Amino acid sequence: MRPALAGVLSHRSRAQLAALLKVQAKLSLREPAALALGVGFPLVLTVLFGEISRYTAGNVGGTGLTVIDLYVPTIMVISFIAIAISLPNTLVRDREIGWLRRISTTPVHPSRLLAAQLILDLVLAVVAIVIVIVGGTAIFGAPLSVDVPFFILSVALAIAEIFSLGLVVVALTPTQTVASAVAGVLFFALLFLSGLWVQPVNVGAPLRDIMWYSPSGAAVRAVLYSAFHATPPVTTLLTLVGYTIVFAFVAIRYFRWE
Amino acid sequence: MHASQPAVTVTNLVKRYGSFLAVDDVSFSIQEGEIFGIIGPNGAGKTTTVECISGLRVPDSGSINVFGLSPQHDRDKIREFVGVQLQESALPPRLKVGEALELFASFYSDPLDPREVLESLGIKNSERSAFKKLSGGQKQRLSIALALVGNPRIAILDELTTGLDPEARRGTWALIERMRERGVTVILVTHFMDEAENLCDRLALINRGRLRALDTPEAIAAEAGMHRLRFVPSQPVADEALYAVGGVQVVERKGRTVTVMGTGDLAASLVNALAASGIQVSELEARSGNLDDAFIQLTRDTASVAADGAQS
Repeated sequence: MRPALAGVLSHRSRAQLAALLKVQAKLSLREPAALALGVGFPLVLTVLFGEISRYTAGNVGGTGLTVIDLYVPTIMVISFIAIAISLPNTLVRDREIGWLRRISTTPVHPSRLLAAQLILDLVLAVVAIVIVIVGGTAIFGAPLSVDVPFFILSVALAIAEIFSLGLVVVALTPTQTVASAVAGVLFFALLFLSGLWVQPVNVGAPLRDIMWYSPSGAAVRAVLYSAFHATPPVTTLLTLVGYTIVFAFVAIRYFRWE
Repeated sequence: MHASQPAVTVTNLVKRYGSFLAVDDVSFSIQEGEIFGIIGPNGAGKTTTVECISGLRVPDSGSINVFGLSPQHDRDKIREFVGVQLQESALPPRLKVGEALELFASFYSDPLDPREVLESLGIKNSERSAFKKLSGGQKQRLSIALALVGNPRIAILDELTTGLDPEARRGTWALIERMRERGVTVILVTHFMDEAENLCDRLALINRGRLRALDTPEAIAAEAGMHRLRFVPSQPVADEALYAVGGVQVVERKGRTVTVMGTGDLAASLVNALAASGIQVSELEARSGNLDDAFIQLTRDTASVAADGAQS
């Protein structure tokens, strides 16, 4: 546990959280969908777009960037989406079978289980970022010149926004079956808007703006700017903050433990 | 002789779900160390009552006192010493028995040793089994283990033998007896009369949200239970003739055998009445009321009771 937490949580709370982290980590390894997607997506997509980049001329859409340059932020955000979209699978199931209710009869509130799961997913997101940055720069030569403060801000906002959206699905879907269906549709919509199939710089005005101001497109844009040492547009950052507030509000307002 | 301290006191408990009155003015108290049964038909309000005691639900009115604390206001304190086994609550399918026990042990300030709990419940061999691989009986034992590992003073067990085979049920009963020996107060929700009769020191019988009886199983059976007479009449006898006999309430037939249930000195009045019509009675078997009969009797005349309640 990080020393910063020591001041916030009592010794016992930390022991309880550590026990929950251990159990959730073991379960994640036994039901490795989130793990496979969260690590598999950045690996596969980095190799794929890195290879495409080798055989394609740079300066995509007049941006001065190569294919892999443009896709580094997209792949990062897609990894966050893959991790967040797996949240409903476990949490809705745990609620549906009465596990969260069972925990609520003990001195530990089930929100601790949610916290443990989010901490693990955060670690997974950091692993994905490392894979994309190391793979993109070291292997495929994307000339990243990361503006560290804005990069951290952009990535933190992107993760907060997309994880909150995952929790909205957890809050609003009654059963695991419904959750899977909703998450599946949402997954492909977010993937499209993030620019996986077509980058916003390559499309015309209405669709480009829709992508730029969509939840995943705005996240990609913020990360893109800060990965190449530029200040992200204020409107993009505000869009991210706005989505995060709305998603977090809906998730908290409608969350049910049983 | 010392009067033991009440572990739980429920006073005028009322709980509604929308317009449905689930629990209607129920009061009782449970002594420390007692095995207290809450019985009643499905949907009677048993589970709602214990969920209010454990703090999972908030009563609409009335008060509950658990060792001097309120389940609503002192929820966190109460959870330390009230262990709950919930009806229909599963674990994540791939969670292993030992892991679940250790996780729950970490939640409490003074837990029992998870290994010892598993051993005493006879599921030590399943320690490394995933939840989804367990049989119904093993799942129930695990559920009890989770309720006990926090070393509770009160254990609330809701329908814990439903769906178990007879052997597993007997095994579970033995476990509850052992909990009593350890001084744990047990609140047992059940709709099995044999379970209530075998295990419980005292019973609360709830029907349609109202408390219908509160006493030892024997006293409830004796007070409300009907006598039951089985006999073969020497010639056919009409139902009307039997119902005309004082005290007769129920008549059942199976072939030539007639079963009569009722109150009062049933055998004497029946034999005399039939003899007066020239009918002899053979193969007469008499049995005094048991808890089953009492249960049927007490949950049958609900309509009139509910009407009384509405007027008062």
